[in-house]
Amino acid sequence: MSIFDYSSHEGFDVMHDGGVDRTRAIPNAGTEVDSREVQLWFGPQHPGITGNMSVQVWLKGDTIQRGITHVGYLHRGFEKLMERRKFIQSFPIVCRMCVAETDTTEYLLASSLEELSGLDQDVPEKAKWIRTLVMEMSRLQVMLMVLGGQVGTMGLGTAPNWTYTLRDFLLDSFEELTGGRVYHMYITYGGVRRDLPLGFGQRLEKTLEVIEERLPYLDDLILNSAVFQKRAKGVGVVPSEWADELGITGPPLRAMGVASDIRRDYPYLKYPELDFKVITAEGSDIYARTEVRRHEISESISIIRQCLQMMPHEGKFCAKLPNMMTWTIPAGMTYTRAESSRGEMGFMMVTDGSDKIRRVHLRGPSYTNAITVLERMLPGTNIADLSALMVSLQTCPPEIER
Amino acid sequence: MFKINDKTQWDDGSGQVIDELKARFGDHPVHFQRDDLARVQIPQKDLLPVLSWLRGDTPFVQLTHMTAIDWMEEGEFELVYLVTAPTLLTSLMICIRVDREKAQAETVFNLWLHAETYEQEINEMFGIDFPGSPRQGVPFILEAWKDIPPMRRDFDTVEYCARTHPERPGREHQDTRKYVGRKFGEKGFLK
Repeated sequence: MSIFDYSSHEGFDVMHDGGVDRTRAIPNAGTEVDSREVQLWFGPQHPGITGNMSVQVWLKGDTIQRGITHVGYLHRGFEKLMERRKFIQSFPIVCRMCVAETDTTEYLLASSLEELSGLDQDVPEKAKWIRTLVMEMSRLQVMLMVLGGQVGTMGLGTAPNWTYTLRDFLLDSFEELTGGRVYHMYITYGGVRRDLPLGFGQRLEKTLEVIEERLPYLDDLILNSAVFQKRAKGVGVVPSEWADELGITGPPLRAMGVASDIRRDYPYLKYPELDFKVITAEGSDIYARTEVRRHEISESISIIRQCLQMMPHEGKFCAKLPNMMTWTIPAGMTYTRAESSRGEMGFMMVTDGSDKIRRVHLRGPSYTNAITVLERMLPGTNIADLSALMVSLQTCPPEIER
Repeated sequence: MFKINDKTQWDDGSGQVIDELKARFGDHPVHFQRDDLARVQIPQKDLLPVLSWLRGDTPFVQLTHMTAIDWMEEGEFELVYLVTAPTLLTSLMICIRVDREKAQAETVFNLWLHAETYEQEINEMFGIDFPGSPRQGVPFILEAWKDIPPMRRDFDTVEYCARTHPERPGREHQDTRKYVGRKFGEKGFLK
């Protein structure tokens, strides 16, 4: 038997002939027979999809009647793997939970286990400043990517080219600081892995100046663009009553006019000492969510500058750590949260007194946004707006499946 | 197995909710983890009454997170519901224990719509049933899964990989230490 003979796989029928009735997941799906309806798979291989996922939609003309999100193309069993590894061995895993924004999950892993082990009391001041700096750099590079990606879904190609270039400059800074452009594994227990390189602040400042210089042009290309306004205003409106019912956080919530931000509401790291505004907008549509992200870019730049100015130049960047091969953490359970570019990201962490994690579960904003929110917004949406809607909700499949 | 602390550092609003919860549903153990996080262990029968009361009559209106933990040694699953009060900026972890042999719990889909996805995932990964939840039995991440639910502690990952992904025929297994020793001699190892 050839190893490539997939027809002999016992799950083949179920996988490929629809033996599993996924349509049970949505009300009335599959029960109505309408010859004018077309069923379309949007993704997983589609330039308009936000990563490794697909949306199965039923269309009448250009209008989506209903739809269902399918994930499962990127499940790597990270949470199970972490139950079988020493605490230090989890860092290369968690940064892959969200490919674009790796530092948030690194911080959540470190902070949750520091809290359960009592190590949080020993984290040096400088390490907290560096962590804040890195977290904000991470938010900034993702917001740049999404800002360009948003108009890219509407066929406007210039802005994404610019914002991806600007993001690349920030990735250069990450490479200098951590050795990696995308996966950093920089935040570790007790602090960070290494100190800032000499002159890093000045070089980062130059990058920030380049980004800032481009922002007015990006405003003209995005927020002031008649094409974008026509496609984004009044489209993809998330009703405000869904906020509690569906657990919406981050830019989609702030675009409803709700000033909610984990950095301010549940202060962590050095955010309480920093001066920043919680950006809100009105309308709760794609335009409002883009507006929030655009102004959060300016706030992030300001926060990074404050970090560079207020950070102590001397001092330790990491606490004295126990032997990582024999480190055990007392039994406990906690939930730590941080504001990612998409909203609240959290780790439910359980330890049992051994040298391994008993259970960890990631709470990501996409979990709700890409499934419950998106599926409820699809009926009545024009097929051409689907991609823009997904980007505006910042759906991120790696974070859903882990 | 967890230490039970006294109530400390909680502001009046959240503290009142805890006090009222105890008055209504019995003096259940409360563990104050942080200024903004406490954990309450309640019996399984009280789950829906407690969560309905929190959702309807208190500021704890958001379901932030939901997950399961397999306490295989104790023959139980633990279900954790993290509910948040956006106005008080505090969260409560409502925990229940479920018998591992009769793994079933009430759905909270009627209180929070997005619980359907959490319950779907827990159903798939742990094999805990939530009768009445709309997506029970519908594959979430796994497809054509025939084994025991993979997040259960007794699921053997290594054995599953060896069985499902056999090595390519003819491939010689290389023990790293022996291979390096054969190729470079003992000098290949750093002393």
